[in-house]
Amino acid sequence: MTDTTKVAADASSRDPAIGLRAVRALRELADRLEELQVRNAREQGWTWQEIANLLGVTRQAVHKKYAAKRGLFRSRGDD
Amino acid sequence: MFERFTKQARQLTTAAQAESRRLGHGHIGTEHLLLAMLTMPDTLAGRTLIRHGLGHEAAVEAVRRLSGQDRDLDAELLSEIGIDLNAVREKVEAAFGPGALDRPARSRRSALGHVPFTGRAKKVLELSLREAIALKHNHIGDGHVLLGLIRERDGLGARVIAESGLDLAALRREVIEELG
Repeated sequence: MTDTTKVAADASSRDPAIGLRAVRALRELADRLEELQVRNAREQGWTWQEIANLLGVTRQAVHKKYAAKRGLFRSRGDD
Repeated sequence: MFERFTKQARQLTTAAQAESRRLGHGHIGTEHLLLAMLTMPDTLAGRTLIRHGLGHEAAVEAVRRLSGQDRDLDAELLSEIGIDLNAVREKVEAAFGPGALDRPARSRRSALGHVPFTGRAKKVLELSLREAIALKHNHIGDGHVLLGLIRERDGLGARVIAESGLDLAALRREVIEELG
């Protein structure tokens, strides 16, 4: 990286307009990945409790967020 | 109208549906007609577009960029904090299939059911009929559909062609020439 591009990169990372929007994009990315992983886990028969444990949230939280989605995340057997 | 479609033009609409499904989109838009053309290099439309330098992969990227569906997932912003969205997308698609990262809330069931044409895509097919009539052809081939696509300038398909640096007027001229 040349000095000029480094300065440019430093400058942009200090710009809140860039930094805040980057955080928002990162959150969006994390949300999409979470949904994919939860869907996959449900398809493989994981319970909401098991999923919640690994996500570090309560069973209620993960259930409320995903279970209502038109039965998409329903696995065979439980609930 | 469909009864006047040539075998290639029919294949084109089927391929457009496949492109839409592959990307996890719930509709067939002008962009899917374009992508379908690029999967058919042996047809007049596909051949002409490819000769002008438009590839399928680049077109898919342009569709993603221009469709605005990823306004919330901006690759440039993420690169500011050291995240390579394309690398993430590659990994995710390897595990969960093409378009897995694109529309998180979309039901997978829609991927199995009917995929409707957008108003603009229908317009393109109507325009392709008009182009055929204007050229005094009694059939509608993939070349006519490309003419329709070019004519429907505001559609994502035409915008992808233009944004990729292709000359719409030259493209149109060449297709008409080859159609004879």
